[in-house]
Amino acid sequence: MNLETFQARVFPVKNKLFRFAFRLLGSSEEAKDVVQEVFIKIWNGREQLGEIQNIEAWSMRITKNLSLDRLRQQNRRPTDSLEKGLHIQNETLSPYENTEISESMKRIDELMASLPEKQRQVMHLRDIEGYSYSEIGEIMEIDMSQVKVNLFRARNAVREKLQKINNYGL
Amino acid sequence: MDSSKAEQLLEKYWMCETSLEEEQQLREFFLSKDAPESLKATAAMFRFFDAEKNKSVNENFEPTVTKQLRRRQGGKIVSMVSFANIARIAAGIMVVVAAAYFIKQEIRKSYPQELQDTYTDPEMAFEETKKALMMISNSFGKAKHEAEKMKVFNEAERKIQNKENQQKGII
Repeated sequence: MNLETFQARVFPVKNKLFRFAFRLLGSSEEAKDVVQEVFIKIWNGREQLGEIQNIEAWSMRITKNLSLDRLRQQNRRPTDSLEKGLHIQNETLSPYENTEISESMKRIDELMASLPEKQRQVMHLRDIEGYSYSEIGEIMEIDMSQVKVNLFRARNAVREKLQKINNYGL
Repeated sequence: MDSSKAEQLLEKYWMCETSLEEEQQLREFFLSKDAPESLKATAAMFRFFDAEKNKSVNENFEPTVTKQLRRRQGGKIVSMVSFANIARIAAGIMVVVAAAYFIKQEIRKSYPQELQDTYTDPEMAFEETKKALMMISNSFGKAKHEAEKMKVFNEAERKIQNKENQQKGII
Protein backbone atom coordinates (compact mmCIF):
# COMPACT_ATOMS: atom_id res chain seq x y z
CA MET A 1 0.00 0.00 0.00
CA ASN A 2 1.44 3.36 -0.94
CA LEU A 3 1.18 6.55 1.06
CA GLU A 4 -1.58 8.03 -1.08
CA THR A 5 -3.85 4.99 -0.63
CA PHE A 6 -3.06 4.99 3.07
CA GLN A 7 -3.97 8.66 3.34
CA ALA A 8 -7.22 8.04 1.49
CA ARG A 9 -8.25 5.01 3.54
CA VAL A 10 -6.92 5.65 7.03
CA PHE A 11 -6.60 9.40 7.48
CA PRO A 12 -10.36 10.10 7.33
CA VAL A 13 -10.85 8.38 10.69
CA LYS A 14 -8.36 10.62 12.44
CA ASN A 15 -10.98 12.76 14.19
CA LYS A 16 -12.88 9.76 15.51
CA LEU A 17 -9.64 8.29 16.84
CA PHE A 18 -8.71 11.62 18.38
CA ARG A 19 -12.08 12.04 20.10
CA PHE A 20 -11.98 8.51 21.47
CA ALA A 21 -8.43 8.89 22.77
CA PHE A 22 -9.40 12.24 24.26
CA ARG A 23 -12.43 10.71 25.99
CA LEU A 24 -10.15 8.13 27.59
CA LEU A 25 -7.16 10.33 28.39
CA GLY A 26 -8.70 13.75 28.98
CA SER A 27 -5.74 15.52 27.37
CA SER A 28 -5.56 16.77 23.80
CA GLU A 29 -1.78 16.51 23.57
CA GLU A 30 -1.78 12.93 24.75
CA ALA A 31 -4.72 12.09 22.50
CA LYS A 32 -2.82 13.52 19.52
CA ASP A 33 0.28 11.49 20.42
CA VAL A 34 -1.81 8.34 20.63
CA VAL A 35 -3.43 8.90 17.22
CA GLN A 36 0.01 9.52 15.72
CA GLU A 37 1.24 6.29 17.29
CA VAL A 38 -1.80 4.45 15.90
CA PHE A 39 -1.10 5.69 12.37
CA ILE A 40 2.55 4.68 12.57
CA LYS A 41 1.55 1.25 13.86
CA ILE A 42 -0.94 0.77 11.02
CA TRP A 43 1.61 2.04 8.48
CA ASN A 44 4.26 -0.39 9.70
CA GLY A 45 1.79 -3.25 9.32
CA ARG A 46 0.33 -1.99 6.04
CA GLU A 47 1.09 -5.25 4.22
CA GLN A 48 -1.53 -7.02 6.37
CA LEU A 49 -4.08 -4.26 5.94
CA GLY A 50 -5.84 -6.19 3.17
CA GLU A 51 -6.82 -8.91 5.64
CA ILE A 52 -8.64 -6.48 7.92
CA GLN A 53 -12.35 -6.22 7.22
CA ASN A 54 -13.17 -3.06 9.11
CA ILE A 55 -10.15 -0.77 9.19
CA GLU A 56 -12.03 1.91 11.13
CA ALA A 57 -13.08 -0.40 13.97
CA TRP A 58 -9.59 -1.88 14.02
CA SER A 59 -7.99 1.56 14.27
CA MET A 60 -10.39 2.49 17.06
CA ARG A 61 -9.44 -0.67 18.91
CA ILE A 62 -5.72 0.14 18.65
CA THR A 63 -6.51 3.66 19.87
CA LYS A 64 -8.35 2.26 22.87
CA ASN A 65 -5.52 -0.14 23.72
CA LEU A 66 -2.78 2.46 23.41
CA SER A 67 -4.78 4.99 25.45
CA LEU A 68 -5.45 2.47 28.22
CA ASP A 69 -1.76 1.47 28.17
CA ARG A 70 -0.86 5.10 28.77
CA LEU A 71 -3.32 5.39 31.63
CA ARG A 72 -1.91 2.23 33.15
CA GLN A 73 1.68 3.44 32.79
CA GLN A 74 0.78 6.69 34.49
CA ASN A 75 -1.37 4.82 36.98
CA ARG A 76 -4.19 7.29 36.75
CA ARG A 77 -7.82 7.69 35.77
CA PRO A 78 -9.03 10.69 33.85
CA THR A 79 -11.73 11.52 36.38
CA ASP A 80 -11.12 15.23 36.25
CA SER A 81 -11.22 15.79 32.54
CA LEU A 82 -13.60 18.72 32.56
CA GLU A 83 -11.04 21.51 32.65
CA LYS A 84 -8.82 19.70 30.23
CA GLY A 85 -11.86 19.19 28.04
CA LEU A 86 -12.60 22.87 27.92
CA HIS A 87 -8.97 23.54 27.21
CA ILE A 88 -9.03 21.25 24.21
CA GLN A 89 -12.15 22.85 22.93
CA ASN A 90 -10.26 26.09 22.84
CA GLU A 91 -7.55 24.82 20.59
CA THR A 92 -8.85 22.09 18.35
CA LEU A 93 -11.93 23.49 17.18
CA SER A 94 -14.43 23.35 14.44
CA PRO A 95 -16.53 26.52 13.94
CA TYR A 96 -19.39 25.04 15.91
CA GLU A 97 -17.19 24.59 18.93
CA ASN A 98 -16.02 28.14 18.84
CA THR A 99 -19.40 29.12 20.19
CA GLU A 100 -19.50 29.33 23.92
CA ILE A 101 -20.23 26.10 25.68
CA SER A 102 -23.24 26.39 27.84
CA GLU A 103 -23.24 25.62 31.52
CA SER A 104 -25.61 22.70 30.96
CA MET A 105 -23.28 21.08 28.45
CA LYS A 106 -20.40 21.42 30.87
CA ARG A 107 -22.46 19.48 33.35
CA ILE A 108 -23.10 16.71 30.85
CA ASP A 109 -19.38 16.54 30.22
CA GLU A 110 -18.88 16.14 33.97
CA LEU A 111 -21.54 13.46 34.13
CA MET A 112 -19.89 11.47 31.38
CA ALA A 113 -16.44 11.85 32.88
CA SER A 114 -17.72 10.46 36.17
CA LEU A 115 -18.97 7.22 34.56
CA PRO A 116 -16.95 4.01 34.99
CA GLU A 117 -14.47 3.51 32.17
CA LYS A 118 -16.38 0.90 30.13
CA GLN A 119 -19.67 2.73 30.41
CA ARG A 120 -17.98 5.93 29.31
CA GLN A 121 -16.42 4.18 26.32
CA VAL A 122 -19.70 2.57 25.23
CA MET A 123 -21.65 5.79 25.63
CA HIS A 124 -19.05 7.70 23.64
CA LEU A 125 -19.03 5.14 20.82
CA ARG A 126 -22.81 4.94 20.60
CA ASP A 127 -24.13 8.39 21.47
CA ILE A 128 -21.35 10.52 20.04
CA GLU A 129 -19.90 8.44 17.22
CA GLY A 130 -23.06 6.51 16.32
CA TYR A 131 -21.55 3.02 16.04
CA SER A 132 -23.72 -0.09 15.95
CA TYR A 133 -23.64 -2.50 18.89
CA SER A 134 -21.60 -5.04 16.92
CA GLU A 135 -19.03 -2.41 15.94
CA ILE A 136 -18.75 -1.30 19.55
CA GLY A 137 -18.21 -4.92 20.56
CA GLU A 138 -15.45 -5.22 17.96
CA ILE A 139 -13.75 -2.03 19.12
CA MET A 140 -13.99 -2.82 22.81
CA GLU A 141 -13.35 -6.55 22.41
CA ILE A 142 -16.46 -7.50 24.38
CA ASP A 143 -19.63 -9.32 23.32
CA MET A 144 -22.83 -7.59 22.31
CA SER A 145 -24.68 -8.34 25.55
CA GLN A 146 -21.87 -6.64 27.47
CA VAL A 147 -22.17 -3.63 25.17
CA LYS A 148 -25.90 -3.37 25.91
CA VAL A 149 -25.46 -3.83 29.65
CA ASN A 150 -22.82 -1.11 29.82
CA LEU A 151 -24.83 1.26 27.67
CA PHE A 152 -27.95 0.66 29.73
CA ARG A 153 -26.09 1.39 32.95
CA ALA A 154 -24.44 4.47 31.50
CA ARG A 155 -27.71 5.92 30.20
CA ASN A 156 -29.49 5.12 33.44
CA ALA A 157 -26.80 6.86 35.47
CA VAL A 158 -26.98 9.91 33.23
CA ARG A 159 -30.79 9.89 33.33
CA GLU A 160 -30.85 9.86 37.12
CA LYS A 161 -28.45 12.75 37.33
CA LEU A 162 -30.32 14.69 34.67
CA GLN A 163 -33.53 14.28 36.65
CA LYS A 164 -31.78 15.72 39.68
CA ILE A 165 -30.47 18.60 37.59
CA ASN A 166 -33.97 19.14 36.19
CA ASN A 167 -35.41 19.24 39.69
CA TYR A 168 -32.93 21.85 40.83
CA GLY A 169 -32.73 23.61 37.49
CA LEU A 170 -29.69 23.95 35.23
CA MET B 1 -41.58 14.90 15.09
CA ASP B 2 -43.80 16.28 17.83
CA SER B 3 -43.01 16.39 21.52
CA SER B 4 -45.12 13.38 22.49
CA LYS B 5 -43.45 11.22 19.82
CA ALA B 6 -40.08 12.52 21.02
CA GLU B 7 -40.94 11.59 24.59
CA GLN B 8 -41.96 8.10 23.51
CA LEU B 9 -38.71 7.68 21.61
CA LEU B 10 -36.80 9.06 24.56
CA GLU B 11 -38.30 6.42 26.82
CA LYS B 12 -37.12 3.76 24.35
CA TYR B 13 -33.73 5.48 24.28
CA TRP B 14 -33.29 5.19 28.04
CA MET B 15 -34.15 1.49 27.80
CA CYS B 16 -31.57 1.05 24.99
CA GLU B 17 -34.26 -0.06 22.57
CA THR B 18 -33.79 2.64 19.92
CA SER B 19 -32.10 2.06 16.60
CA LEU B 20 -29.33 4.32 15.34
CA GLU B 21 -31.86 6.05 13.06
CA GLU B 22 -34.24 6.74 15.94
CA GLU B 23 -31.39 8.12 18.01
CA GLN B 24 -30.52 10.41 15.12
CA GLN B 25 -34.15 11.58 15.01
CA LEU B 26 -34.00 12.38 18.71
CA ARG B 27 -30.79 14.29 18.25
CA GLU B 28 -32.32 16.30 15.41
CA PHE B 29 -35.42 17.01 17.48
CA PHE B 30 -33.47 18.35 20.41
CA LEU B 31 -31.13 20.37 18.20
CA SER B 32 -33.78 22.02 16.10
CA LYS B 33 -36.63 22.75 18.48
CA ASP B 34 -37.10 24.30 21.83
CA ALA B 35 -37.49 21.30 24.04
CA PRO B 36 -40.20 21.34 26.70
CA GLU B 37 -39.07 22.65 30.06
CA SER B 38 -39.17 19.17 31.55
CA LEU B 39 -36.67 17.93 28.97
CA LYS B 40 -34.25 20.83 29.05
CA ALA B 41 -31.47 18.82 30.62
CA THR B 42 -32.00 16.00 28.13
CA ALA B 43 -31.81 18.49 25.30
CA ALA B 44 -28.48 19.70 26.66
CA MET B 45 -27.26 16.12 26.60
CA PHE B 46 -28.08 15.68 22.91
CA ARG B 47 -26.54 19.06 22.12
CA PHE B 48 -23.45 17.98 23.99
CA PHE B 49 -23.24 14.75 21.96
CA ASP B 50 -23.54 16.76 18.77
CA ALA B 51 -20.87 19.27 19.84
CA GLU B 52 -18.52 16.47 20.80
CA LYS B 53 -18.96 14.83 17.42
CA ASN B 54 -17.68 17.98 15.76
CA LYS B 55 -14.42 18.03 17.66
CA SER B 56 -11.44 17.52 15.45
CA VAL B 57 -7.72 17.19 15.72
CA ASN B 58 -5.94 20.36 14.66
CA GLU B 59 -4.95 21.04 11.08
CA ASN B 60 -1.20 20.55 11.29
CA PHE B 61 -1.68 17.00 12.51
CA GLU B 62 -1.97 15.45 9.06
CA PRO B 63 1.19 17.03 7.55
CA THR B 64 3.21 16.09 10.64
CA VAL B 65 2.10 12.46 10.49
CA THR B 66 2.58 12.30 6.71
CA LYS B 67 6.17 13.43 7.16
CA GLN B 68 6.75 10.69 9.72
CA LEU B 69 5.18 8.01 7.55
CA ARG B 70 7.23 9.13 4.53
CA ARG B 71 10.38 8.67 6.58
CA ARG B 72 9.30 5.10 7.27
CA GLN B 73 8.31 4.39 3.68
CA GLY B 74 11.51 2.49 2.89
CA GLY B 75 10.34 -0.31 5.11
CA LYS B 76 11.53 -1.24 8.51
CA ILE B 77 14.57 0.61 9.69
CA VAL B 78 17.22 -1.81 10.92
CA SER B 79 18.78 -0.36 13.99
CA MET B 80 22.55 0.12 14.03
CA VAL B 81 22.85 -1.91 17.19
CA SER B 82 21.45 -5.06 15.59
CA PHE B 83 23.53 -4.42 12.46
CA ALA B 84 26.71 -4.26 14.59
CA ASN B 85 25.79 -7.55 16.26
CA ILE B 86 25.27 -9.28 12.91
CA ALA B 87 28.61 -7.85 11.68
CA ARG B 88 30.37 -9.16 14.79
CA ILE B 89 29.05 -12.68 14.30
CA ALA B 90 29.92 -12.63 10.59
CA ALA B 91 33.49 -11.48 11.36
CA GLY B 92 33.88 -14.30 13.89
CA ILE B 93 32.74 -16.92 11.40
CA MET B 94 35.15 -15.53 8.77
CA VAL B 95 38.11 -15.73 11.16
CA VAL B 96 37.30 -19.35 12.03
CA VAL B 97 36.90 -20.36 8.37
CA ALA B 98 40.17 -18.61 7.36
CA ALA B 99 42.07 -20.18 10.28
CA ALA B 100 40.75 -23.65 9.39
CA TYR B 101 41.80 -23.20 5.79
CA PHE B 102 45.38 -22.14 6.64
CA ILE B 103 45.83 -24.89 9.23
CA LYS B 104 44.72 -27.46 6.68
CA GLN B 105 47.24 -26.06 4.21
CA GLU B 106 50.01 -26.29 6.82
CA ILE B 107 49.15 -29.86 7.70
CA ARG B 108 49.16 -30.83 4.05
CA LYS B 109 52.60 -29.30 3.56
CA SER B 110 54.20 -30.84 6.66
CA TYR B 111 52.62 -34.30 6.43
CA PRO B 112 55.23 -36.88 5.20
CA GLN B 113 54.44 -38.21 1.78
CA GLU B 114 54.86 -41.88 2.78
CA LEU B 115 51.60 -43.13 1.58
CA GLN B 116 51.23 -43.06 -2.11
CA ASP B 117 48.79 -44.69 -4.40
CA THR B 118 50.03 -47.99 -5.76
CA TYR B 119 47.23 -48.85 -8.09
CA THR B 120 49.41 -48.19 -11.15
CA ASP B 121 51.86 -50.91 -10.10
CA PRO B 122 50.12 -54.27 -9.23
CA GLU B 123 53.23 -55.81 -7.73
CA MET B 124 53.82 -52.93 -5.45
CA ALA B 125 50.13 -52.95 -4.51
CA PHE B 126 50.46 -56.63 -3.64
CA GLU B 127 53.55 -55.92 -1.51
CA GLU B 128 51.78 -53.09 0.28
CA THR B 129 48.74 -55.24 0.96
CA LYS B 130 50.96 -58.04 2.21
CA LYS B 131 52.77 -55.61 4.46
CA ALA B 132 49.48 -54.34 5.84
CA LEU B 133 48.11 -57.85 6.44
CA MET B 134 51.36 -58.90 8.10
CA MET B 135 51.11 -55.91 10.37
CA ILE B 136 47.57 -56.91 11.34
CA SER B 137 48.65 -60.51 11.82
CA ASN B 138 51.57 -59.46 14.05
CA SER B 139 49.24 -57.34 16.10
CA PHE B 140 46.88 -60.27 16.50
CA GLY B 141 49.81 -62.45 17.56
CA LYS B 142 50.87 -59.91 20.15
CA ALA B 143 47.35 -59.58 21.41
CA LYS B 144 47.04 -63.36 21.72
CA HIS B 145 50.23 -63.51 23.73
CA GLU B 146 48.96 -60.80 26.07
CA ALA B 147 45.62 -62.55 26.36
CA GLU B 148 47.38 -65.77 27.41
CA LYS B 149 49.03 -63.88 30.22
CA MET B 150 45.61 -62.72 31.31
CA LYS B 151 44.44 -66.32 31.17
CA VAL B 152 47.15 -67.33 33.67
CA PHE B 153 46.02 -64.58 35.99
CA ASN B 154 42.40 -65.63 35.70
CA GLU B 155 43.31 -69.23 36.37
CA ALA B 156 45.27 -68.23 39.46
CA GLU B 157 42.41 -66.12 40.72
CA ARG B 158 39.96 -68.95 40.23
CA LYS B 159 42.17 -71.36 42.15
CA ILE B 160 42.52 -68.94 45.04
CA GLN B 161 38.79 -68.47 45.15
CA ASN B 162 38.16 -72.19 45.18
CA LYS B 163 40.60 -72.59 48.00
CA GLU B 164 38.94 -69.85 50.01
CA ASN B 165 35.55 -71.41 49.48
CA GLN B 166 36.87 -74.77 50.60
CA GLN B 167 38.31 -73.24 53.76
CA LYS B 168 35.04 -71.47 54.51
CA GLY B 169 33.28 -74.79 54.04
CA ILE B 170 35.57 -76.46 56.57
CA ILE B 171 35.05 -73.75 59.18
